[in-house]
Amino acid sequence: MTHIPTRRRRRIFDLARPSRQHILGYILIAPAVIMVALIILWPLMLALDLSLQRVKIPRLGTARKPFTLDNYEWLFQSTEFWMACWITLKLVIVVSICCLVVGMATALLVNQRFRGRRLARLGMALPWAVPEIIAVVIFAWMFDSSFGLFGWVAVKLGIADHMIPWVSSPAAAFWAVAITMVWKGFPFVSIMVLAGLQSIPSDYYAAAKVDGAGALQRFRWITVPLLMPVLGVTMVLTTLWVFRDFSIIKVLTQGGPLRSTQTLSIMTYDQAFQYQNYGRAAAVGIVTLVICIIASVLMLGRRAKSIY
Amino acid sequence: MRRLYGRLMAGAALSALLLAGAAQADTRLKFISWQTDDGGTGEWWQSAIDAFEASHPGVTIEFTKADRSTYADTMTTLFAAGDPPQIVHLASFEFQMFGDSGWLEPLDPWIEKSGIDMTGWAGQKTCQMNGETVCIMMNYFGYIMAYNRKILTEAGLEPPTDWDSYLAVARATTKDLNGDGIMDQFGTGHETRGGAGQYLTEMLNYILDAGAYWTDAEGNVTIDTPEMIEGLTRWKTVIDEKLTPIDMAASEVRKLFADGKMALKLDGPWLYGTTERGIAKDDIVYAAPPFHPPVGGSSNVLAMPADIPEDEKALVWDFITLTMSPEFQRTYATLGGNTPPSPTADVSGVEETIPHFPLLQQTMTEAAEAGVDRIPTGLDLYYNEFSKMIMEETQRMLIQGLAPAEVVKTMQAKAEDLQG
Repeated sequence: MTHIPTRRRRRIFDLARPSRQHILGYILIAPAVIMVALIILWPLMLALDLSLQRVKIPRLGTARKPFTLDNYEWLFQSTEFWMACWITLKLVIVVSICCLVVGMATALLVNQRFRGRRLARLGMALPWAVPEIIAVVIFAWMFDSSFGLFGWVAVKLGIADHMIPWVSSPAAAFWAVAITMVWKGFPFVSIMVLAGLQSIPSDYYAAAKVDGAGALQRFRWITVPLLMPVLGVTMVLTTLWVFRDFSIIKVLTQGGPLRSTQTLSIMTYDQAFQYQNYGRAAAVGIVTLVICIIASVLMLGRRAKSIY
Repeated sequence: MRRLYGRLMAGAALSALLLAGAAQADTRLKFISWQTDDGGTGEWWQSAIDAFEASHPGVTIEFTKADRSTYADTMTTLFAAGDPPQIVHLASFEFQMFGDSGWLEPLDPWIEKSGIDMTGWAGQKTCQMNGETVCIMMNYFGYIMAYNRKILTEAGLEPPTDWDSYLAVARATTKDLNGDGIMDQFGTGHETRGGAGQYLTEMLNYILDAGAYWTDAEGNVTIDTPEMIEGLTRWKTVIDEKLTPIDMAASEVRKLFADGKMALKLDGPWLYGTTERGIAKDDIVYAAPPFHPPVGGSSNVLAMPADIPEDEKALVWDFITLTMSPEFQRTYATLGGNTPPSPTADVSGVEETIPHFPLLQQTMTEAAEAGVDRIPTGLDLYYNEFSKMIMEETQRMLIQGLAPAEVVKTMQAKAEDLQG
């Protein structure tokens, strides 16, 4: 009688049995999952909690303030927030499209066989390798309104009759930020597309040629469809990068002039560190996160349908 | 057995003694500052630390640099995490949020206990919050004017003494020297790229001279006035006529001046350090500013956190009083090149190393007597929001060509909204 429960217990914890191997898997990945949860979910929960309190500067270990939706009410009634959304959207569209076009063009170029191809590939990837802050400092000098390279070139070429006030004109400031972002972001698209191009079997192109397809037709009907899985992921990552990028705008324009380059990231920073409104900053951060999730889901869903 | 017991007791006593010694030796005060490697001022702080450590055996001060551009962020994070430095060094426009949160120790009992007379201590009233002293003003300065003698002589001009002559000199010396369509030499120079606080300080040169200010002594907003319209008009003139390089940080503007590419520069005592290293060093002359009262203001403060242990508070207060001592108030001038806030500081002979030092003192006194400060009364708690609002409305005026008379009404309404 006494042997039966022992045998049962042994059977229950016999994780080597094929039917219970998944339990062993869960146990093995549990530490990693818990760690990821702590690193990702805990700060998110803190931010969510903070966004539901009227708090200027939070302090660890102090009592929680009463629950309120004031921060979200303020956010959705604030013209600043809707303007930041519009600026972010404009920047995402402009930078993502330009990165796609320039990145794809350079990838197609360096995918060809020519002398110095290796050097060209290295040159293409260089902006990606340069630390973002260094790139921005260089661009800040080139966009200098009094002595900058771009203004000087514009005057010398007769495009402008005076130096361009890159940072103190809303339109120029937006383009200064966008150009810097494209320069920094297009190599990632190039590298991803190049990897995608090299995975397309050359037989497809040979067969299409035999059928009389021209270069444009081959690009339209072979290259683009087969690159769609890569392009989908690349565009999601590029979009998210533009969405959350902070340092380029902060160093170049600080979100100005007249908030013409103030994205949601800059607004979050300003609310937290400039105005010490951490509750409001957390609300902006949470809304940004929700927008990012929705955008990612929509773009990945679109990619899945585009593959054949 | 008795011998063993005796040995154990002796061992325990020795251990206790060693541990007590180690605990004292381990007393370390954290001191974070953005001035650690500022020429002169950084050395002055270090000399104060050395003197403090020499007089407090077993106590060390960990002097760490945090960059000025992210300084408020760093301090906010440290305070929010409950781990502030024991010696709190803050700019005079940012300590208010810490004081308002109740994180700074009221210093009145400490001042009273030490018997320090704060009468006439320049800028000290800025440290008052809700009737309590929460910090000690370390620096109060007055703006001076520096001009490039060579540029003025070549143009046949005299140094300006008022707004009209200032504008005339600035217009006459702003030039495209090589005819390539790009200005190479500017009449004057202002930072228009940095933070909003600095933007307001630059504007203040013209606003104060026009007789305007943001608020009155009671904290009422006083922007919608004819004087403010005049002040904004002057700023608009300087920017619109491109008499200053635009979108430049303060250090870049100072460098231009130091290298002989600018005729006039209105700035604080720190300009001297840059001009001494510049190409045009020998052509630069310091003079009284043409505007009255001169821009002046509190610069930085020392404080201590409210929730550190009492023994640490006593040590921090010892350090603060050391920096306030006559000896260190003197070296603040001789070593740091700054105007000491103490009214009794002995600054005799400083002009031997800093020839224009009497001028710095004169403008500091003039600004202090006129009650000038960069942080307006009644808006000190919202200074960041206020300064950003003023900067944006001024930029709107410049970009959209709005009339100053229209802009002051918007500024007035928005400033009143901030005050609630």
